Amino acid sequence: MNASAIAMLVIGVVILYGGLAYFISRAMKHK
Amino acid sequence: MERERWNRRSDFLFASIGAAIGLGNVWRFPYITYRYGGGAFLIPYFIALITAGIPLVIVEFGLGRMAQGGAPLAFAKIKKGLEWIGWLALFAVMSIFLYYSVIMGWIWNYIVFSVKAMWGANPNAFFFNKFLHISSGPGQLGGLNWMIIIGLALTWLWSYNYLRRGTKSIGKEIYWTVSIPWVILIIMVVRGLTLPGAVDGLNYYLTPNFKSLLNPEPWLAAYGQIFFTLSLGMGSLIIYSSYLPKDSDIANNAFITSLANCGTAFFAGFAVFSTLGYLAVAKGVTVPQVASSGIGLAFITYPTTISLLPFGAAFFGVIFFILLLTLGIDSQISQVEPFTAGFMDKWKFPRKFILPIVVIFGFLGGLFFTTRAGYYWIDIFDHFTCSYILTLVGLLEAIVVGYVIKASKMREYVNSVSEVKIGRWWDVCIMIITPIILGISLVMEIINTVRKGYGGYPGWVSFVGFGIVALFIILSVVLMKIKGKEE
Repeated sequence: MNASAIAMLVIGVVILYGGLAYFISRAMKHK
Repeated sequence: MERERWNRRSDFLFASIGAAIGLGNVWRFPYITYRYGGGAFLIPYFIALITAGIPLVIVEFGLGRMAQGGAPLAFAKIKKGLEWIGWLALFAVMSIFLYYSVIMGWIWNYIVFSVKAMWGANPNAFFFNKFLHISSGPGQLGGLNWMIIIGLALTWLWSYNYLRRGTKSIGKEIYWTVSIPWVILIIMVVRGLTLPGAVDGLNYYLTPNFKSLLNPEPWLAAYGQIFFTLSLGMGSLIIYSSYLPKDSDIANNAFITSLANCGTAFFAGFAVFSTLGYLAVAKGVTVPQVASSGIGLAFITYPTTISLLPFGAAFFGVIFFILLLTLGIDSQISQVEPFTAGFMDKWKFPRKFILPIVVIFGFLGGLFFTTRAGYYWIDIFDHFTCSYILTLVGLLEAIVVGYVIKASKMREYVNSVSEVKIGRWWDVCIMIITPIILGISLVMEIINTVRKGYGGYPGWVSFVGFGIVALFIILSVVLMKIKGKEE
């Protein structure tokens, strides 16, 4: 894959899966 | 009658995620991303998610939980004269489940066809001529297709079984039908990435073209995609949140549901585009020449790829259509449940009485789409329901919450029960950004259809389409006027 595609892949992963992990961890704390 | 409740928070989250994740995550998002600037499309997509998607999910979760009822009851509790907006959402969802169940019927058939790759060397001709026996136009209905009717019946039997005990039966089955697609997607991504040409496909999927963002189209497409992918305006999220206990979180559930949905679509893009890269190499063409979306991707492009796989063609064919089936069933039940619950809320019908009636009605109504012109009518109903009614409901939702309830009051209510507090940015999204974007989309669609008609169909089709929209609005007002039980 070219560098710019990899950069977008990283951005997508960080925002979507990083965000999801963050909000799930917040939910676990309040369980 | 005591209101049904979810057993666990995870039951509600999985049901909401299942409602949001549907066929569009696999067959629409990857193509839209590629078409509107590759990786650069993620920028308007994320902005749309934050400024319209998540705020509207919070609205729908908030309305359902606050009203402890489906869409009509939720709007009626705000102001009696607004109840019709809730019924309009339910007529939209009814229109969708009538044709969605027929597409599910096609998928059942294709699971069987995949075992021996029955589409042969020409999946396009097989799909339209041998399977659908498609007529020359929407005016030529032709006879019913028994293969599709069997698939339609299976879908409705499964839906009945899924919904027969309400939150209890949904809570039991939802874990399977939300998890299985992810397992299949992982298998497909691994398989796709090990095929020659996969990297070319992924480069087309993700390489950013920032110049495309200077045009309005990618921005409107991003807002449209976010709006439809989250199942907004259908009443599904409203009814699911109405089954939450009164002390449940709203905002964090909205973030989790939205991000899980978009994360699934993003991941599905790897399965789709790695495979399209292989198809391009196998046919000696470029990826744009094979890239497709929607029904074309599922029933023509993907079967073509399956036929060209070096080994395991039957296995990958079957799991692809099981993927579509399991993605679709969660969305199907999230369409049937709010419709059923609308009548349960207003006239206090017991589930065991109203659900079989809705299921039989859904099956009989779906027969229209199993005719030889069914393909055209699915396209027409999809366009007029999604582009007009759902957008209108979303627009009215934002206006009602923003200006009738007042966004600040709704925000205070949401924050009083939520783990994650939302700030004033949410007021701006609901009062300004969302109504403007949805309003522009609605007006542009109306102008386009009035000027050019829709989809190259004869002019009378647009009259029928707008007639259906008008009929649903009239019926919504009529249902609002009919007195409910124990009002």
